[in-house]
Amino acid sequence: MKIGDYVQKLGLRVGTIQVLAFILLTLLGVRLYYLQVVRGDYFSERAENQRVRFIPIPAPRGAIFDRNGKLLVDSRPTYNVVLSNEPLKSVNVADRVDTYSNGLSMDRQFVVERLSLIKKQNEFETMVLKENVGIEDITWVEAHSLEFPELRVELQPQRFYPLGTTLAHVLGYVGEISPNQLKEPEFQDKGFRPGDIVGKGGLEQYYDEYLRGRPGYRKVLVDSKGRVQSELEIVKPQAGQDLVSTIDLDIQNRAEKQLAESATKRGTIVAMDPNNGEMLAMASAPSFDPNIFVKGSSTPEGRQAIAAYWQDEKRPLYNRAIQGRYPPGSTWKLPESVAGLQQGAITVAHSNLVCGGGITIGNKFTRCMGSHGSPPLSFAITKSCDGYYYRLALKMGIDGVIKMVEDFGYDKRSGIDLPNEKVPQTPKSWMPYIVKNEGKWSDIRTVYSGIGQDTVVVTPISMLRAVASIGMRGKMYTPHFLKEFKAIPAVGTEGESDYFPARPAVGFAHPEPKILEATPDQWDLVIKGMWGVVNGGGTAGAIRIPNFEIAGKTGTAQVAELGKDVGDKKDHAWFVSFAPAYKPEIAVIALIENVGFGGSHAAPAVRGVYETYMSLHDNGTASPETVAKR
Amino acid sequence: MVAIIEKRDLKDFDWLTAVLAIAIASFGVWQIHNATPTEGYWSKQIIGILIALVAFIIVCFTDYRRLIDSAPIFYIGGLILLFLVLTPLGVQVNGQKAWVRLPIVGQFQPSEFVKIPTVLMLAKYFGARKAGNLRLREMLIGGAIFAGPVVLILLEPDAGQAITYFPILGAMFFLSGIKIRYVVLTVVAAAILIPVAWTVGVKTGKIKRYQQERILAITDPDSVDPRGYGYHTIQSTITVGKGGLAGNQGDTETSQSVLKFLPEPQTDFIFAVTAENTGFIGCVSLLLAYAILLSRMIAGAREASDRAGMLVIMSIVCGMVFQIFMNVGMALGVLPVIGVPLPLMSAGLSALLSTFVAIGFVVSVKLRRFVN
Repeated sequence: MKIGDYVQKLGLRVGTIQVLAFILLTLLGVRLYYLQVVRGDYFSERAENQRVRFIPIPAPRGAIFDRNGKLLVDSRPTYNVVLSNEPLKSVNVADRVDTYSNGLSMDRQFVVERLSLIKKQNEFETMVLKENVGIEDITWVEAHSLEFPELRVELQPQRFYPLGTTLAHVLGYVGEISPNQLKEPEFQDKGFRPGDIVGKGGLEQYYDEYLRGRPGYRKVLVDSKGRVQSELEIVKPQAGQDLVSTIDLDIQNRAEKQLAESATKRGTIVAMDPNNGEMLAMASAPSFDPNIFVKGSSTPEGRQAIAAYWQDEKRPLYNRAIQGRYPPGSTWKLPESVAGLQQGAITVAHSNLVCGGGITIGNKFTRCMGSHGSPPLSFAITKSCDGYYYRLALKMGIDGVIKMVEDFGYDKRSGIDLPNEKVPQTPKSWMPYIVKNEGKWSDIRTVYSGIGQDTVVVTPISMLRAVASIGMRGKMYTPHFLKEFKAIPAVGTEGESDYFPARPAVGFAHPEPKILEATPDQWDLVIKGMWGVVNGGGTAGAIRIPNFEIAGKTGTAQVAELGKDVGDKKDHAWFVSFAPAYKPEIAVIALIENVGFGGSHAAPAVRGVYETYMSLHDNGTASPETVAKR
Repeated sequence: MVAIIEKRDLKDFDWLTAVLAIAIASFGVWQIHNATPTEGYWSKQIIGILIALVAFIIVCFTDYRRLIDSAPIFYIGGLILLFLVLTPLGVQVNGQKAWVRLPIVGQFQPSEFVKIPTVLMLAKYFGARKAGNLRLREMLIGGAIFAGPVVLILLEPDAGQAITYFPILGAMFFLSGIKIRYVVLTVVAAAILIPVAWTVGVKTGKIKRYQQERILAITDPDSVDPRGYGYHTIQSTITVGKGGLAGNQGDTETSQSVLKFLPEPQTDFIFAVTAENTGFIGCVSLLLAYAILLSRMIAGAREASDRAGMLVIMSIVCGMVFQIFMNVGMALGVLPVIGVPLPLMSAGLSALLSTFVAIGFVVSVKLRRFVN
């Protein structure tokens, strides 16, 4: 009895089943061909992506030192609790919020934010949950490692600012790269990722590229739960370069102290070596503690402290030396004196101009603070005669004033190696607006521009740089904090992927000094006037130091209308100087906000800085030649 | 029975079928080792093959007609075993109560074995019928025989295993002269009703989101959460694709199963493991081996000396084709994830034993093709 015997065409039916079976198997073969042969490379790559992880190894950031090797900033090892995305993939993170915030004693809101942030990251990313944790937190994480595989403790260097508020504006601080920065091409090109630490403000920001090390990584094989199975490759990190700055910490401390002792405790003191532009000190008060920014962003108290800094009306975060713009008042008379001589408005032989106790423009009388007859230039500087400079400005004309602005660099940044420096505002920058709104540039504005009011506001750094160049008889250097970056040796094997080439020592790229042309007797005349301010019965006679001849100029910048200098709107006090007068080694400027006369508030602050300088340098005595020269 | 193996038996013995079955099973052992090199599944599987071979030889040299005659006893025994699963003797594994633990025998999965008695019982009933189209009454009785074990399996509940019973009934009906118009009607009805049921089910929420995701992972892989229910399908597809043309020949370092990306690698996803390790070449060879094995079995069916023998072979063939297609289709991401083992390959003593016994029947039928 065979199949063919049946009448139900069973042979055909069996054949149908057979054909159907082969069709099904062929379909599977076709699908196999597609998956394995056509798209094999794609799936290989996907498989590799899910089993290979890069665990970053942070690189130590370069430390910052003062010119004598005293430590200003370094990094300390701290432990962070790190959150990884992978084990959370099938977890409802809302369940974790209370556990974390209780277990790690954290702000609930912050935990919520971090969890939602990590969920948004690409697979396998990690993120710091809590920084700088203590032994209790470490123990808690270890004890719950099975329950919460997404948490682990990582050793990470944290920036530490041992000086606290001292020098804070110059040093800046570091923090996690912001979402906005990440969008900028500048940062994208360098491969920054969320959570990376970058310099924010100050030298930390300006020299971030050098200070930042090159992070290494461990390339590891992980299983589906993200547990490391083996290490495939390790690339060691390369430390960042140590920065040796030009700062002299002793002078800096004295400058900070002078500000702290000033009447309003608001202002700035800056000291520079006029011979090369090296910054010896830059203090701005009130100040802030950079450590709060480094540590604080993850705690509610820290965030409050940061918010308080931002909201403080006294603006502690702002560096008055380079971001503050103040009317220069009488300090403006120094560049103007040089310009007057350069432009021939006055000469060394005939430098006398009438004081007249003031000047009448149209029907408006603008007074001088005294009655100085018809003084010569040096006397006008020493006594700070406004009447003289009203007339000098008129004689130079507004074009002459603008030429002076350009010559002394008041139309540009000083070029100091700090971010966010402001450009002064001068008749040059105001001219187009004034002419547009008022139809013409009136003489009264020229008169005011002669005494550094109205259309003139300058940064203390621009004023210091200009006046230092007078001391240097026309050599204007770029102010800077960088003395040297220390060399760092190469890491890894040359030609391999783990190779980081050596980073050579780098100094400040000194631009050529700007040269102001004037004759020696012209310089002598101006410097003589400045010498007189302190040593010749001038407006700052009270700060005279025997055997250390300061050449300077006081300034009292009007905040409110003339004569109404009371309360909050008191005048700003300026004193700008260099010393010794005929062979300058140090130039110092002080600006104290809303305290009144420059001679009685700013000049004494500067004197303190010179005293410290003298105590550090025994050569503070005026040489016999310079005395004879007078 | 075993004692009286005649010389002619050895000559007519279907060596190719036996060798193919053993070869595929051995290949399976290698893949189980690749899937879980550090665990004992592969060595257990070797022991399983040896036990299965003994059972295979016994069945081969036993006259299948006598076994078919005794089918009701086996059938009732099978139902009892399935019922035991539902009693406290049943053992729960992975949330499914499909196993039973008996003294001496140990733990096994009755739903795998009961296929054989079901096949025999149906073959006994339909093998006795005369020529002519299948009548409604016959279909109802056949359906009742079929329903016994299937309902018990659905009560476990093990829908995946229950599904594998349907091709047996289908083969019985089809080869017992069911009218072609009914076959066409069934196919057309399925083609219409399944999409309709799906749409209605989704709209009314009768089909739960996680159930939908299993299907959507196939039809629209981008729409499902790769970490959720689509995970198995996606990982299996990656594993298969990663194998490429020649596979990565047992490289455990990057193995998807060793790193636990691929779930259930030694059982449900053994084909993905094969694909990863032996590539397109290995997979196609395996499918060819199945095709030859099935062809040999179908040839045996054509030569069967009686209708019951033919039905036994063909329903076993249909069951195997269905399981192969379901399992491999699932591994290749074209069918939803249903836990159907790959015959001869997946780790598991019960499935291995029942498959070898089934093939034993085929050989037995062929051996007796000249006997009346």
